Amino acid sequence: MTGDRLMHASTRWFRLLLRLYPADFRDEMGDAVVEAYRDRAREALSRGGLVRLAAVWVRALVDSLRNGPGERARPAAVWRRSGNWGRDAELGIRRLMRAPAFAAATVGTLTVGLCMVAVVYTVVQKVLIEPMPYRNSDDLYYAWRDYGSIVDLKRGALAGTDIVELQKASAVIEDVAGLKPYLGGVFSLTETSDPMEIAATRTSPNLFDLLGVEPALGRGFARDEVGPGHPNVIVLTHELWNRFGADPAMVGTDVRLNAKNHTVIGVLPPDFAFVRNDAIGPPQRADAYTPFEVDLAAEDPNDGSYSALIRARPGTSPQALAAAVDDVGSTVDARDFNSRGLKLYPVGLKPDLVSRARPALLVLAAAGALLALMLMVNLASVLLARAARREHEFAVSRALGANSVAVMRATLFEGGLLGLVGGLLGALGAIWGTRVLVALAPLDLPRREAIAVDWEIGGVIVGLGVLLGLLAATVPATWAARASLSSLLAGSAVRGGGGHGRMRRGMVVAQVALSLVLLSSGGLVVRSFERLLRADLGFRPEGLLTFRVRRPPEFFPEYADAILFQDRGDRAIAAIPGVTGVSASSALPLTANSSRGAIGTQSEVRIPGAPGNTGDAERDTLLVDAIFARGGYVEVMGMRLLAGRTFSAERPDGVLEALVDRRLARHFFPTGDPLGAKIPFGEKRALTIVGVVEHVRLHEVHQDGPPQLYLHVDDMGLRPLSVVVRTERQPEAIVSEVRSALKQVDSRVPMGDGQTMDKIVGDALRQQQTSAVLIAAFALGALLLAAMGLFGVVSGSVTRRRHELAVRMALGADHRRVLGLVLGEGALLVGIGLLIGVPGTYAAGGLIRGVLVGVSPWDPLTLLAVALGLTFVAMAACYVPARRVLRIEPAQSLRQE
Amino acid sequence: MDRDRRRPDAQLPLRAVEFHILLSLAGGERHGYGIIQDIQARDETAVPDVGTMYRALARMVENRLIEAAARRPAPDAGDERRNYYRITHVGLRVARAEARRLEALMRAARLGGLLAKGAK
Repeated sequence: MTGDRLMHASTRWFRLLLRLYPADFRDEMGDAVVEAYRDRAREALSRGGLVRLAAVWVRALVDSLRNGPGERARPAAVWRRSGNWGRDAELGIRRLMRAPAFAAATVGTLTVGLCMVAVVYTVVQKVLIEPMPYRNSDDLYYAWRDYGSIVDLKRGALAGTDIVELQKASAVIEDVAGLKPYLGGVFSLTETSDPMEIAATRTSPNLFDLLGVEPALGRGFARDEVGPGHPNVIVLTHELWNRFGADPAMVGTDVRLNAKNHTVIGVLPPDFAFVRNDAIGPPQRADAYTPFEVDLAAEDPNDGSYSALIRARPGTSPQALAAAVDDVGSTVDARDFNSRGLKLYPVGLKPDLVSRARPALLVLAAAGALLALMLMVNLASVLLARAARREHEFAVSRALGANSVAVMRATLFEGGLLGLVGGLLGALGAIWGTRVLVALAPLDLPRREAIAVDWEIGGVIVGLGVLLGLLAATVPATWAARASLSSLLAGSAVRGGGGHGRMRRGMVVAQVALSLVLLSSGGLVVRSFERLLRADLGFRPEGLLTFRVRRPPEFFPEYADAILFQDRGDRAIAAIPGVTGVSASSALPLTANSSRGAIGTQSEVRIPGAPGNTGDAERDTLLVDAIFARGGYVEVMGMRLLAGRTFSAERPDGVLEALVDRRLARHFFPTGDPLGAKIPFGEKRALTIVGVVEHVRLHEVHQDGPPQLYLHVDDMGLRPLSVVVRTERQPEAIVSEVRSALKQVDSRVPMGDGQTMDKIVGDALRQQQTSAVLIAAFALGALLLAAMGLFGVVSGSVTRRRHELAVRMALGADHRRVLGLVLGEGALLVGIGLLIGVPGTYAAGGLIRGVLVGVSPWDPLTLLAVALGLTFVAMAACYVPARRVLRIEPAQSLRQE
Repeated sequence: MDRDRRRPDAQLPLRAVEFHILLSLAGGERHGYGIIQDIQARDETAVPDVGTMYRALARMVENRLIEAAARRPAPDAGDERRNYYRITHVGLRVARAEARRLEALMRAARLGGLLAKGAK
């Protein structure tokens, strides 16, 4: 129909006319305007046909010519009538929607960056800052022994008598609880059900009161439920209780722990995540708690095997508590150590717990802060570039009367909005990111279970995003507010960069400097980790399976029975295809803490008559790690024998054999031969050194521990052991076969904590690995941001200098010369940035020193490599946009002007 | 925002087109051309152009005198949908204030003999 065709044509005409209006008016009102014109056109058509319609067309043209440009001049009016944030918001959002690529790229950068910042912030907040979930947790302290000049041990466990003595200082100390691991935690529901191994902690009965924790079910220990002859009671953690079906009726029933009935009196709440700090090694979690069956006051003062948890009276200052504990130390020293200089000292519960993770977390926090700073500079420079493109609009609206405040607000709003969206997405991403991090994080990371994004953290991150956005926007905002017609005209006359060019270049310099700091820290941490991977552990971890067996006297009343069981077990495991060796020891490498501690295997060694003795009693007493091993241990572990021979299965009658490590041998026999020398042992007996082996790292991957003394466990009657199995197959693959072999030998003894030695080594490296990965990610993020900044500046510079470059080329400069000119500008910025960054790397070096192993924080090789790498990437980021000068056609370019 | 809290007088005087729009919307929701038709029906000599009116509408939405209502088909134009507007409380108060202002002026004009006393 012709009517329809005419209406269609009219609609197109009206839409065309709409172009005369500014975009935001079109977005808002365009459809409605066209509708109204169409209504008018339809009416005209029905009344007077084509002539009337033509009149409507003409009138619409006149109308649009008048109102379109009128509306275009209006942003100034909006701004002049200041105080309309809603309008600014609408305009800001719409402007961003019209530049989806810009918005997506900016928001994307902010999201990734803020997500990383949020993850680090979450970990730092939860681990270092947030108080522990106990009543007045600041009043809780651990106490340790410093042996002073008696022996070189600065952090030793307390004796039971020390704890009794601490309790007497009731003026400042409200309560003290002793803790120690329960050896041999073979647990089962009934005598006949399958046994499993659990980690149990023996404690004073007041532990839960002291922490201020109420059991979720049942009750805690009564004050008198302790000491010899008390009925066996046990409190289970929620987790263990869950493993057995979470039956509330379990409270009041008996379970079996090491072949003895224990009555379950309570179940702890699900969020109870107490860990026992030991004198050495990482904190230990427990599955169940049971009170001491000994009287602490009757313990041997020399037997330091307890951790002591102190609750100070409310309002006690740390200094007052330290003084009180020190006084108790003096009493103990005078009574039990002939005043030879033993001291006791307290450490706050939390500082004690997080001390190992603290340096790495601080470095991560600093890296996070630097990254946030980089993000801000990056955003500022992006916004400035964007504002520069609107310079014209700003200048015109200013000329039309918009005040500076209004112009600034519009720009600020854009930055704040980008920051808000980035912060929201970043916080969301961090929820997932922290989960990944916790999964990767070292198992002994304190308060692992508490690490999750909560509302508060989410709020902080969103707030940080907005703040970054606003701060970043102040730069372009102040600049835009200064934009004026005259400066614009001046700028276009000389074709030089406006003030924004200088600002952007300044920001690029800052970015290069910041990323140098982050990159050098990242490089050092990665190099340090690489050192760790190559560390000589003193044995061969690959192809080893390890697990624990408990051989409690309840199962094997005579120690000969335990040896018999062990021999039969070894034979059964050795019969598994692919197994080439089986042995056992009391302390596996890198897990020294979990199998020692309570055994008190750090002991003092004297060798009278040894050539290395000096006559100074202190110098001639050596604190060593005593390791109890079975025959074949050295061979199965792949340790290196340096002299003499190793333990074999047969033990010569009447001789207590011992192996010493290189360090012990060197201490007492700097030149001579230690083989055959006697080490006094106990009252009458003596150990005979039969061999010297290489030091094995028992505690840390990166450094030797105390010297080592190996004793034959079958001579000593020690009960819990870690078995090591060397196999040609994958160690994981033989776990079930080992388990069933062991079950056939004795079904009462569970296979505890089966894992490969490779995993143990991996776990020991986890902390360094996680921080290396995180810091490296931060560093790469920073590098990327700096490269983006450079790219933007050089690309802008090419656009801005197009005319100048064209003139140069028209006057005879060839492309290479012009390219060099543009690249030189970038190189200058990189150079200045590097120069500024160098002092920063020195400052950062001081901070990361604590997490580096075997690498100096100012390692010249690493720093040089990082600087070169950064320069390379930076120059590449300059070169890509600079190549656009090659496409400049001087004649054409100049004609356009 | 803070404009809402100001007294209606602050928005006075209204432009003729604005007053007409408020007048029209005071009788119920209208779409754009409906308002123009209303103005024509009021025998107004200077009926505003579409562009002029929509710019006024945009401004008045901004100043909360009116607000956009749901888009819906107009009864007189098949099933084509239209943008409808409605007056706000503020708008109504401003319109009344403007009418009072005009009335006062008229009274003054009559008293001053500028207009015939009986003239409407």
